[in-house]
Amino acid sequence: MPNPTYPPNTVRALLHSDAVTPPTRAALLERLDAQPQAPQFFDAAEMATLRAACARLIPQCERENPIEIASSIDERLAAGKGDGWRYDALPPDGEAFRRGLRGLDQSADGEHNAPFAALNETQQDAILGSVQNGAARGEVWQTLSGARFFEELLADATENYYAHPLAQEEIGYAGFADAPGWVEIELNQREAREPEANHV
Amino acid sequence: MFDTEMREYSRDESVDALVIGTGSGGAPLLARLAGAGLSVVALEAGQKWNPARDFATDEKAQDKLFWTDERLSAGNDPLHFGNNNSGIGVGGSTLHYTAYTPRVQPDDLRLFSDFGVARDWPLSYADLEPYYDELETFLGVSGPNPYPWGPPRACPYPLAPLPLNGAAQLMERACQTLGIRTSPAANAALSAPYFRKGIGWRAACTNRGFCQAGCSTGAKASMDVTYLPLAVQLGAEIRPECFVINLETDAAGQISGVVYVEDGIEKRQKCRNLFLCGGAIETPRMLMMSGLANGSGQVGKNFMAHTGMQVWGRFDEEIRPYKGIPGSLISEDTHRPKDADFAGGYLLQSIGVMPVTYASQVARGRGLWGAELREHLRGYNHTAGINILGDCLPYEGNFLELSDEKDARGLPKPRIHFSNGENEKKMNAHAETIMRQVWEAAGARDIWKFDRNAHIIGTARMGNSGDDAVVDADGKSFEIPNLNLPDTSRFPSALSANPGHTIWALSLPPPHLF
Ligand SMILES: Cc1cc2nc3c(=O)[nH]c(=O)nc-3n(C[C@H](O)[C@H](O)[C@H](O)COP(=O)(O)OP(=O)(O)OC[C@H]3O[C@@H](n4cnc5c(N)ncnc54)[C@H](O)[C@@H]3O)c2cc1C
Ligand code: SF4
Repeated sequence: MPNPTYPPNTVRALLHSDAVTPPTRAALLERLDAQPQAPQFFDAAEMATLRAACARLIPQCERENPIEIASSIDERLAAGKGDGWRYDALPPDGEAFRRGLRGLDQSADGEHNAPFAALNETQQDAILGSVQNGAARGEVWQTLSGARFFEELLADATENYYAHPLAQEEIGYAGFADAPGWVEIELNQREAREPEANHV
Repeated sequence: MFDTEMREYSRDESVDALVIGTGSGGAPLLARLAGAGLSVVALEAGQKWNPARDFATDEKAQDKLFWTDERLSAGNDPLHFGNNNSGIGVGGSTLHYTAYTPRVQPDDLRLFSDFGVARDWPLSYADLEPYYDELETFLGVSGPNPYPWGPPRACPYPLAPLPLNGAAQLMERACQTLGIRTSPAANAALSAPYFRKGIGWRAACTNRGFCQAGCSTGAKASMDVTYLPLAVQLGAEIRPECFVINLETDAAGQISGVVYVEDGIEKRQKCRNLFLCGGAIETPRMLMMSGLANGSGQVGKNFMAHTGMQVWGRFDEEIRPYKGIPGSLISEDTHRPKDADFAGGYLLQSIGVMPVTYASQVARGRGLWGAELREHLRGYNHTAGINILGDCLPYEGNFLELSDEKDARGLPKPRIHFSNGENEKKMNAHAETIMRQVWEAAGARDIWKFDRNAHIIGTARMGNSGDDAVVDADGKSFEIPNLNLPDTSRFPSALSANPGHTIWALSLPPPHLF
């Protein structure tokens, strides 16, 4: 059975309904309505590389307004916020990101004589793949673990994307409709406020 | 949280007992000490929350419950901390624990006698049993009577088990065909409204599956809605947002008080007894920063983390894994598997999962990205998991040290070295085979495993002698008689059960200690 798809434009209506408690509504509406900020941590070139990388890690070609991932990462680093741990093999988050992004540009330069953001998608994917496999070319990767950096970048991008209400709508998640509690919790049970999968 | 007026103690006076940390190790103890008529103060690094007002059913918004001072993860299996391991706030890690409440089985406490590895505990199941009984009744644990594994119980679970969700139904069916016994699990979450003197009524669980990011209804027995309000009512003072940075001693080498930071200002609290309950990383870290109680050389050593492998599968059925208590089904048939080539054992639990957590695991664990990642996540509503909770042996090479790097508070970041040993690897291999069989029998496709270790344990082990242990069976330091370590630091071995229930049992000090 192929993976289901779910109807669009359900999340906003649900968020404004009684089915959502005030703290949950506040958290999700803030994210839904967030406007991208000018970068505070990265410079313009780093930001361009980060945006290009995120666009390949979480491609959103079908979205007219893609969910902002790169600026959420920039915002986190500018605020000096972390998730409570880091691989001892990596330098502090901000430095790891700066060096890793430079590494992507070095690899791009070495292979194609152009910055990462200027490559086509196939070329970008090949470079990201080689970083993930620890096989990327470029001086940065001699001292920075490509595999670990890639894992961190991917986890950051993924968590930001799936924390967004529209991404949650995409996968049919309705857990934020938390006011009434759930009664129909068994297999193949769905409550009225849970989106029904489109039949393929 | 605290409806009653809270008593306040002067910082100039020496209190009978000072408790650092209000999680599993600190909270029951605080209530017990206050109930014995002692003057008690608790210092807690984190905030005091009002769950109904402050807790969103949103993983990112709830990041505030996790300990985010950076830890450095080293070794072959570097551990993920933060949301995978430690909490901050009045209630500690119980604010985001999943509420699994299995008891240990008696042989968990004697790995050395039975297998010649690790350490025996300096106490037995009989010592824990009356506290387990008391806790289950006080917290309102929901569970089956009789419980199919372990010794017969004197005291039944006070509430019926919580309902099974989709993942649990799938696991139950498949285990039946494979001859593996299962049972609804014991969870410290209420299947019906529950009243206790000292804390009043708590509402029943509404099946919102969000225990790991905070319970907004009070149904989950986290310490902030159980032992802590009781402690306050009995006369304890809890000071939130007070970060302890140093322990002080008098001329005789006894603890005389602590230095802590509140609102950026350094303050002191004097005490006659100190109960250090910062969890198995912050407790040894504070001892190391203060240079105390390490005559045995064992502070920071023997760091352990349960084997916690998860196996996920994709089903035709709709599961919607955000509904229901996450761990509603259990099997302890693997407690001492007959065909085991390892010491100890593990238990099996069905698991629900929140979307960001699952997505992050897919990214880190499978390395999926691009269109493949998004495609996989579209199957989220059809995803179910099983995990194990297995013993982990203490090893020389698994330890905590202070690094040269400073954190935002100016304190040395801890570096934690962790590698699974042969025993853990064999146990994981055994468990992976079984979990894959279960998911195949349940009709899963695209089965995959996520390697994981969970819970921070050890680092100040308890034993019979100060030569090779930090504290005695009561949690008292061999070197400094008025220093006690009631939290997970004192575990000599990891046990094949989720740790909370046993920490609470250890944290209810027997009356002869007063
Ligand atoms: C996601 C998750 C799910 C879990 N699920 C379960 C489960 O289902 N069942 C189970 O049994 N266990 C579970 N656990 C584990 C359980 O929560 C912990 O093992 C247990 O709470 C640890 O107790 P503790 O007292 O050692 O530490 P904690 O509960 O972490 O308490 C330590 C407290 O000390 C405070 N502190 C630390 N340093 C300082 C300082 N310097 N100054 C002031 N305060 C300080 C911290 O802020 C914290 O509040 C889970 C853990 C996690 C992370
Ligand atoms: S599942 Fe129940 S106990 Fe867990 S957070 Fe939700 S209401 Fe609370």
